Amino acid sequence: MAREDRPERSSYRKFFPPKKKFCRFCQRNVKAIDYKSVEILKKYIPDRGKISPRRITGTCAFHQRKLSLAVKRARLMALLPYVED
Amino acid sequence: MRQYETGFVLSPGLSEEDAGAFIRQMADVISQKKGKMVKQDIWGKRRLAFPIKRFTEGIYVFFLYEGPGDISQELERRFKQSDSVIRFLTIKKDAKDAFRKKKRAAREAAAAAAQAAPAPEATPAPAAGEEK
Repeated sequence: MAREDRPERSSYRKFFPPKKKFCRFCQRNVKAIDYKSVEILKKYIPDRGKISPRRITGTCAFHQRKLSLAVKRARLMALLPYVED
Repeated sequence: MRQYETGFVLSPGLSEEDAGAFIRQMADVISQKKGKMVKQDIWGKRRLAFPIKRFTEGIYVFFLYEGPGDISQELERRFKQSDSVIRFLTIKKDAKDAFRKKKRAAREAAAAAAQAAPAPEATPAPAAGEEK
């Protein structure tokens, strides 16, 4: 479908734009993410045990890289699950 | 000196004395290899996120130390030999330092640029004079 053909955005978006997301780590000025701080990491893995993407959490690229590394390390140490069903 | 962090999980079958003795042994390795223990963290028994070797619990211990790189090698060699260690992980703790170094380098570069800036201004003038 060409860009012009696309229907107009539904009007409710205009009046209620989605809430602006922001990086929680930047907000607190965190430089390094420790794999041992499981409680923080848990917020970024939903029920299934996957790492939630940046577009959903609003984390910045710098911190998302640190976060994914921390989650992977935590998984190795059995602090977080690889899969959960 | 670089900082390293080694974490390991002991099998839950160990008695408290055995676990304590093992942890002390490993701490001795660090001091023998002329390392400096910065922090020793013992979490105690904790549920594993998934079973490892049919264990559902483990004793978590973390060492933060600084010293030469062969400490972690020696530690890991011992972990592999012993049956009571189910998981271990060593990481370099240089993220913060790298940050500070970069910042310092940037500051120094800025200072050098500030110092260098007046000098080039001085040099073109005579050069221009020479051209004439």
